[in-house]
Amino acid sequence: MMAAGSSHHDLDRFGIIFRASPRQADAMIVAGTVTQKMAPVVRRVYDQMPEPRYVIAMGSCACSGGVFRTYHTVQGADDFIPVDVYVPGCPPRPEALLEGFIRLQEKINKEELRWSRWR
Amino acid sequence: MENMDNNQRPFEPYEIQMGPQHPATHGVLKLDLELDGETVIGCKPTVGFLHRGVEKLSENLTYAQALPLTDRLDYIASMANNVVYSNAVETLLGIEVPERAKFIRTMVMEMARITGHLLWLATHALDIGAMTVFLYCFREREQLLDLFEEVCGARLTTTYTCIGGVRQDVTGHFLETLYKFTEEFPSRVREYETLIDQNRIWLKRTQGVGIVSKEDAVSLGLTGPSLRASGVDYDVRKHLPFDAYSEVEFEVPIGKKGDVYDRYRCRMEELLQSNRIIKQCIEKLPPGPIRADDSPDLVMPFSKKCVTADATFKSGVIKLVEDRKHYMEGDVYVSGECPKGELGFYFVSDGKGRPYRMHIRSPSYIHIGALPFLCKGQMVADVIAIIGSLDVVLGECDR
Amino acid sequence: MEPLEIAELLKKRFPGQVIEIKESRNQVGVLVKKGRILEICRWLHDDPRLQFNHLADLCGVDYLGKRDCRFEVVYNLYSIPLRHRIRIRAQVPEEDCKIDSVTSIWMGANWHERECYDLFGIEFVGHPDLRRILLPEGWEGHPLRKDYPLDGGGKNWSGYEEIRKKAKDLRQFDFYGDYPDPTKEKELKDVAGKDGEYGQ
Repeated sequence: MMAAGSSHHDLDRFGIIFRASPRQADAMIVAGTVTQKMAPVVRRVYDQMPEPRYVIAMGSCACSGGVFRTYHTVQGADDFIPVDVYVPGCPPRPEALLEGFIRLQEKINKEELRWSRWR
Repeated sequence: MENMDNNQRPFEPYEIQMGPQHPATHGVLKLDLELDGETVIGCKPTVGFLHRGVEKLSENLTYAQALPLTDRLDYIASMANNVVYSNAVETLLGIEVPERAKFIRTMVMEMARITGHLLWLATHALDIGAMTVFLYCFREREQLLDLFEEVCGARLTTTYTCIGGVRQDVTGHFLETLYKFTEEFPSRVREYETLIDQNRIWLKRTQGVGIVSKEDAVSLGLTGPSLRASGVDYDVRKHLPFDAYSEVEFEVPIGKKGDVYDRYRCRMEELLQSNRIIKQCIEKLPPGPIRADDSPDLVMPFSKKCVTADATFKSGVIKLVEDRKHYMEGDVYVSGECPKGELGFYFVSDGKGRPYRMHIRSPSYIHIGALPFLCKGQMVADVIAIIGSLDVVLGECDR
Repeated sequence: MEPLEIAELLKKRFPGQVIEIKESRNQVGVLVKKGRILEICRWLHDDPRLQFNHLADLCGVDYLGKRDCRFEVVYNLYSIPLRHRIRIRAQVPEEDCKIDSVTSIWMGANWHERECYDLFGIEFVGHPDLRRILLPEGWEGHPLRKDYPLDGGGKNWSGYEEIRKKAKDLRQFDFYGDYPDPTKEKELKDVAGKDGEYGQ
């Protein structure tokens, strides 16, 4: 995620900018393993985001738990938040994350009635 | 009504919570700070948001299967974790690694140290407010990650070593590119220094902040550059040399005061020393095999200890690993110098092919444990600088 | 100093405390009784011939069904000025799951002991702040004990169950309200990985 944001891959050219607060965000990246202790925090961040909001599960661990089938790991972030795009890989390459964003944009393009008609 | 007098109101500390999704804490660390004005009087870190149960999981895996899990500990310098883990298992099993593999391991470990320190410098500078350094550091880091990709196929989670050697040999192109990189890297380090070393804001925010004395640093269990910045000469590479570290020349930079600035200087010096070690490794790299004959790893087809044709792939591998005669009972603690500090593995073996108990001594865990001591009496804005200077990774801390 | 010499010194200094001295792979482990562990550690730290000032590692081991004494607490010590090391293993029986804390000697032992308490349930007497550290408060059981199943036996932390229930209740307000029910998927997943063991 850091490499995707830096000069080599440059997320900014897609108009995607990291924000420090969930209240200013349109999409949330769940990066890395979600544990049971972390789940309430992730959910709270999600609840703070304004509608319309999207979630990208980045990495195998966030998608399905990955190799960690253990007592404290959540087997997939979709257990407690709705996920729009799954980006597999452990960790995904920056290109894969970019692809995930493009897929999300395609998904948003197809949506009707969720946004105002002046978008 | 007589209790309304402001002067007699009991003092109540102001409490703020930092984290767990705060961008400046390098992961999911939560700090409960108690403030008196702007001065920190109490600090309680909460960790465990990334606790995945690696230790429990590896008790159910074979030694070779648990190797990829070590990538996910310190995911920004996973090569170093691989090397230390393999060293520990080899000590337990009594396997001697070929000379070439030792040099390759030393080389990739130092590359991992450079990537780790570059990421540390980038994020630490970003936290303090120097944005440009971030972009400069990632330029060199991407070069090294491309090299990692060339040698093992992955950028971050490498799983490059195997028990008894390394998985694949390095190519000539790899060595040439790496040599070219080492030639120009010192000038790059000077570039970073020109950006921040003379910067008055940087100096004000780092000098004299988060001082930890020699005795306290040892007692707190700090290791790595954070310990050496306090003036203690402890480097696992010099004290208990592993791999080819006894055959290369390098110096261990030692700081004086033990503040944030000294920790920064120590790491900058280490970048140059790592560069020096890589150069020597390329020059001295001996020919020969890259894997010991009795390596119990998932065996690639070129070795004679290949999986037998009648067994299925899965059961064959497990059989090969578990049938070894010299899985002796006993325990062993082996540590290595990772970018963050001393990473140690403690194994208890009961004579079977799986570790009976594996404990990971992760430097980040101890460093975060030292935060309450370091933060006490500091300004709240300096807490960020102190966390940054300790160089913590929460994947390694929580395991 | 050679590790075996240190072990002999320890045996002479604390007669009756040392149960066994074992050497494996050039590393020496000394098995001791837990009663005077604080004195032993203090002596190892303070004696000018030894000066074990660096507590490299502290962890617990569970020998369920293997040994009479179920738990052991392992101290890996290293001396930075004198460059030698030794391993102290202290026996902790299950019935009396307590041992003295060494935080007064090495400040860094604080979090090691909390982790040990969290994952093994060994109580450290005299520890300043003995709480769970990696797992959330309210977690049942101690995961690294050998009788604890790897996947937690299908039970989740109560706080996590709350979040799942909240997510289920709030789903009707989502734009894609009809996304697959994770509880149903969960059952499918469980069938797929029924054995729960890796590579068998």
